[in-house]
Amino acid sequence: MSAAQGGLSQVAATAARLETIAARLLTWGTRVALLLILVGVIDMAVTGVVPMAAATFPPYSLVAIPGQLAALRPEGFIWAGLTLLVALPLGRVTVSGAGFLAAGDRRLALVSVLVLLVICASVVAALGLEG
Amino acid sequence: MITGLVLLVGGAAAGVFGSLLGLGGGVLIVPLLTLGFGLPLRESVSVSLVSVIVTSSAGASVYLKKHVANLRLGMVLELFSASGALVGGLVAFLLSEQVLAGLFAALLLWVAVSMLRRSGRSEAPAPAAAAAADDRDPPGEPTFTDTLAGPGYRVRRLPLGMAGSALAGLVSALLGVGGGIIKVPAMHLAMGVPLRVATATSNMMIGITATSSAVIYLLRGQIDPFVAGPTAIGVFAGATLGSRIAHRVDTRILRLLFVAVLLYTAFEMAQRALGL
Repeated sequence: MSAAQGGLSQVAATAARLETIAARLLTWGTRVALLLILVGVIDMAVTGVVPMAAATFPPYSLVAIPGQLAALRPEGFIWAGLTLLVALPLGRVTVSGAGFLAAGDRRLALVSVLVLLVICASVVAALGLEG
Repeated sequence: MITGLVLLVGGAAAGVFGSLLGLGGGVLIVPLLTLGFGLPLRESVSVSLVSVIVTSSAGASVYLKKHVANLRLGMVLELFSASGALVGGLVAFLLSEQVLAGLFAALLLWVAVSMLRRSGRSEAPAPAAAAAADDRDPPGEPTFTDTLAGPGYRVRRLPLGMAGSALAGLVSALLGVGGGIIKVPAMHLAMGVPLRVATATSNMMIGITATSSAVIYLLRGQIDPFVAGPTAIGVFAGATLGSRIAHRVDTRILRLLFVAVLLYTAFEMAQRALGL
């Protein structure tokens, strides 16, 4: 086996390991997120919340979610589930990026960081537009 | 209560059809919420993006576990799809509902035509992949593109894939779809990635693409939790069911029926765009 082939097979082995870790993260994260949303939907039915019945809906606020959960409000469970859901792909990129870095693949680690920076730019842009 | 159930069932139907026909649910959810429930298009797009993330995360976990999705290639391309989605998510707030409806009608028409062309065609090896087999570089230090290859295939024309991914991200953010309709052909036809790998990698990338714009919709207060919750649960249940019954369903007739639905929906959306 040449040095180049050896390098590529090492890359493939690292990728396979990372794919397994990312798969576990997505599997369990999706389950928990959907469970939270399901509890929120059941809570909607129990408390008589009708979608689109009111002109407005509870606004999203990350800091308000723990309070809404403590009060067993349906929007609290749904917001918590949606927040986790949106965070999952970011978690997958973070785990992969860390794995690439640990394997010495700086180029792909950098790409992972750039992907996360684009998401950060989305957050900043959204907050900027809101302001 | 009834509205919540209808949203759940509607989401499930979108999930089943999307799963059986290899589409994300977005193409169906946006018209369902806009035409069926009278929700503003921008709010429908935001709810659809949430459903897209659900199906992507659930599907990608399976594809990654089976090592079908190409994580390295996906990571590179999703940098461009996420950038496209960031731009799209911002542009979406500058466009009128009528313009968005017109764009959505055009997208539905495109999907319908693509499905008709695909109908009855068997899966062929990627043209660029076939060429790659006879086009081996002499052994040496692997290039960056070489390191993105998978078992049995090499990656070609990376810049074309990057451009396709950026376009897919833009369309995804504007119209609330996954963008697989652009990403899969870009990877399969232009880059020589086998169709199965292209589909799996696209599915994985869609999560980040949708997240880039979903964050903007979420923080701008455009997502209604009471609509997004039941729809997301329905889509997940439908997509799970769809993947289990896929081998028992004759998708040729289903595809033609679906094309008819898409054309009708495109017509309705075009009417809305024209203010009729």
